[in-house]
Amino acid sequence: MSEPVVREAGHPPVTAQADTTSNPTPQPQNDAKNATSTPSKGKPKLSGVELKKLKQAEKQARRAAQKAAGEQLQGQQKTPPAKDGQKQVPKDDKSKPLPMRRRPSNPNVLVAKEPKKDTKKEPKHANLFFGHLYNQPRLHSVVGASKDVHPAVLALGLQYSSYIICGSTARMVSMLVAFKAVIEDYQTPVGTSLARHLTSHHLSPQIDYLRSCRPLSIGMGNAIRWLKDVIIKIDPSTPESEAKRELITDIDNFIRDRVIAADQLISDYAAKKIEPGDVILTYASSSIVESTLLRAHLDGISFSVIVVDSKPLFEGKRLARNLSQHGIKVRCFSYSGAAHAVKDASKVFLGAHAMMSNGRLYSRVGTASIANLANSNSIPVIVLCESVKFTERVALDSIVGNEVAPAEEILSERERQALLPLKVNGEEEAVTTTNDVWKRVEEAKNLQLQQVLYDVTPAEYINMVITEYGSLPPSSVPVVHRLSTNA
Amino acid sequence: MAEGTAIATPGLSSFLKSLKTTPVEPSVAYLISLLKRRQIRNSRQCAVATTALLLRVVGEFKGKDSAKLVERIRQVGRRLTSAQPREVVVGNIVRRVLGLVREVVEDHLDAETNATSDIGHNSQPHNDSLSRPTLSSTISTFSPLKHATAEPLDASTHQSETMSDSGELPKRPGLLTSHTSYVPSSSAPLVNSLFGLFSHPDTPSTSNTPTGHQSPDNKGMLTSLNLERLADFSNSKFDVKAEVMDGIRELQDELDQSDDLIAANALDHIHSNEIILTHTASTGVQKFLLTAARKRKFTVVHVETFPHDHTGTHSVLLTGKNRDHSGDSEEDSFKPLRAAGIQVVMIPDSHVFAIMSQVNKVILATHTVLANGGLVAASGARMIAAAAKAHQTPVVVVSGVYKLSPVYPFDIDELIEYGDPGSVVPYEDGGFVDLVDVENPLYDYVPADLVDLYITNLGGHAPSYLYRIVADHYRTEDINL
Repeated sequence: MSEPVVREAGHPPVTAQADTTSNPTPQPQNDAKNATSTPSKGKPKLSGVELKKLKQAEKQARRAAQKAAGEQLQGQQKTPPAKDGQKQVPKDDKSKPLPMRRRPSNPNVLVAKEPKKDTKKEPKHANLFFGHLYNQPRLHSVVGASKDVHPAVLALGLQYSSYIICGSTARMVSMLVAFKAVIEDYQTPVGTSLARHLTSHHLSPQIDYLRSCRPLSIGMGNAIRWLKDVIIKIDPSTPESEAKRELITDIDNFIRDRVIAADQLISDYAAKKIEPGDVILTYASSSIVESTLLRAHLDGISFSVIVVDSKPLFEGKRLARNLSQHGIKVRCFSYSGAAHAVKDASKVFLGAHAMMSNGRLYSRVGTASIANLANSNSIPVIVLCESVKFTERVALDSIVGNEVAPAEEILSERERQALLPLKVNGEEEAVTTTNDVWKRVEEAKNLQLQQVLYDVTPAEYINMVITEYGSLPPSSVPVVHRLSTNA
Repeated sequence: MAEGTAIATPGLSSFLKSLKTTPVEPSVAYLISLLKRRQIRNSRQCAVATTALLLRVVGEFKGKDSAKLVERIRQVGRRLTSAQPREVVVGNIVRRVLGLVREVVEDHLDAETNATSDIGHNSQPHNDSLSRPTLSSTISTFSPLKHATAEPLDASTHQSETMSDSGELPKRPGLLTSHTSYVPSSSAPLVNSLFGLFSHPDTPSTSNTPTGHQSPDNKGMLTSLNLERLADFSNSKFDVKAEVMDGIRELQDELDQSDDLIAANALDHIHSNEIILTHTASTGVQKFLLTAARKRKFTVVHVETFPHDHTGTHSVLLTGKNRDHSGDSEEDSFKPLRAAGIQVVMIPDSHVFAIMSQVNKVILATHTVLANGGLVAASGARMIAAAAKAHQTPVVVVSGVYKLSPVYPFDIDELIEYGDPGSVVPYEDGGFVDLVDVENPLYDYVPADLVDLYITNLGGHAPSYLYRIVADHYRTEDINL
């Protein structure tokens, strides 16, 4: 239930500011600075609308300052008014045109760059299919992060946004590990209890930061919900050190039970599904599929693997390399060769980002086509998924809920190079650097590049879902989800 | 210019240039090497090169024996197809030229038997009525046309269409019984075009064929008609060679115009605010969409076709010009779709299924169309078509008739070409390339049941009807070269 609140605070700029309430004096200053920086930016063309906005911002700052002053007395009651202040700021933000929106949070370094970028990107935001999913750009630096964010989390966020840590299980586990560090370094302020303060004040900025680096995966969401539940249930009378210790062991146990042991069980079980002579097709890279294949290989079953890979992440390549280094015979296809790959396969193993409650599989974009091809070739499609990644959410198509990835990732360096000699507008000079190529593509009128990270595979293409509870048809996903969350 | 050709990389343009000066045998050898080295690739380029070469072959052919001519063309054709069996179009063109020769000869023989009684037009009706029953019962591919040619003569007028219609009435049943599926689609325009032919008997047939936007129904048929007419008028100094060359030139015209003729159908298939998905940097599809873009606003989702055609796709989207076809830049340059005010969205191949729920129509370019209604297209096509099928999205294939092959795909794998695996995983990644088999199939076979409609320069056809068009264009005796 706390989820919506967190989401509310999800505007990283605003939260970043509101969270400075712990030392209330700098906040008004901050706001004032931002307020003044706004006119200085927009001075040459200070329109009526902007003046109004400026006034609003000033009012906002004043109000916040008053509130902060009031709160100073009773630290415990800080939360609700601060939230209130937050809520108003975003509302105010919404009335502003886009270029202004993200400004307050960013320190001046970024602000200087921002307007230029935004004017260029604005037409691109009128995105045909995924327009509703563009709410904020991905953060690629620690600049602008709230000062409450723990260094471990800061590092993790960057690893998320650069796909160094990729894959929903890896992201979830790494997040929990980082949270262990956060909890370890946490000290309950005087006058409040750990159970009440930790979640809303200390954990939520971390989560917000992570979210601004890359939207949370469903597994991460589940883990966060679980963690909050655990924290809330801590008896306020327990001493802080003990509570922290308990929490950390809880997290360890969670990782052990729900991920490590579950993976073990699943790979044990799924490896049995591999028969000698099988050709296992897999798409992109899933840690659980990888461990299953390795397990089967160690069991001495002779089989070969086909890895289908896709732009732009090329995760399959990593998987193919790992498997082949273990001596498994691997063939690798690019995505357009998928039809040929499926034809040669005898079973399809897929990893999951999440299993939806309507039995659909939410996984790396491209999975659905593979499953579709496999289904039409009557090849069994087996999904391996820990029950942590089950969700009560449902989805019918891949458009409504998805994660949009930056479009510039589509054009790799090599592809840009290939476009260098291109003359776009007839006599125009060919560009010299690959960055210019991208600029040209980006500025091209009526041309959009779009990229999302996931798609939804219809349940009818999935023959079996293997979880730590056993193997089940996709229609049983909601049941297992209830089972695993109530247990 | 001469220096330019010397420097230019070997390809279609250099071949066409050299063809003018080089004798036939070296030209054949040159084309074979170009095909083998894949310096000429893509159906259109292969088709253009083959027709140009065959024109020379026929032109240089000495002697009047048509059987020898057939043998000669066959021999060249065999060498070309064995040089690059996967460019099925080469074989198609050879077969069509062979069919042309046979047809010219047969027509000539026909005309001679007809002419024995009298060359006068009045004698024709009797002759025709006598021969009709036998003709309608035979399943000769060109028999309907023979009837058609006879009809205007029968009415002995050149102007009134109503007259010919009424005169035609009694004959209709005969046609219908023999070619039920054939008649409704093309009989009326055919009569039109016949009138065009006969009212201006002296105009060169080439000028006639392009005019008929309403009657592009059957180029091959028109070819045969014109030849027949020629045979009629000049049977005294009958020359197989000249007529075959005329026929080949018409084939060249057909190649030139097929994109435009296909594009003429665009407005029948694309309505406003549609979202259309396509892939590869196909000129034909781009022209098709551009024609529709003149009148309607729609959105195009372009799949990138990584790794073998993404650069072409990118450059087509940006500039409207496929950089890969540097040879015929003038012909290939047109403004990009986005300049025509069409919103273009490019997506990676993996996104097809995710986007498909929003797409109204899928338009595929093709490499070869097979007689069973299936097609060979750039890889990824199968996946796209399957996704479209799953979403009940119609799949339209745009293809010239010259890509239509009489080959029946008993062994599909034979038709699939594999490309450079380095474009999937670069060779710099030595450890990887050593351990993993990297495969890069260039083509996909798309079975007929995934395709809803074919649009050729003859109009739109159901996949199940393609066998009929094959029968119209190729002689059974030529199917095995």
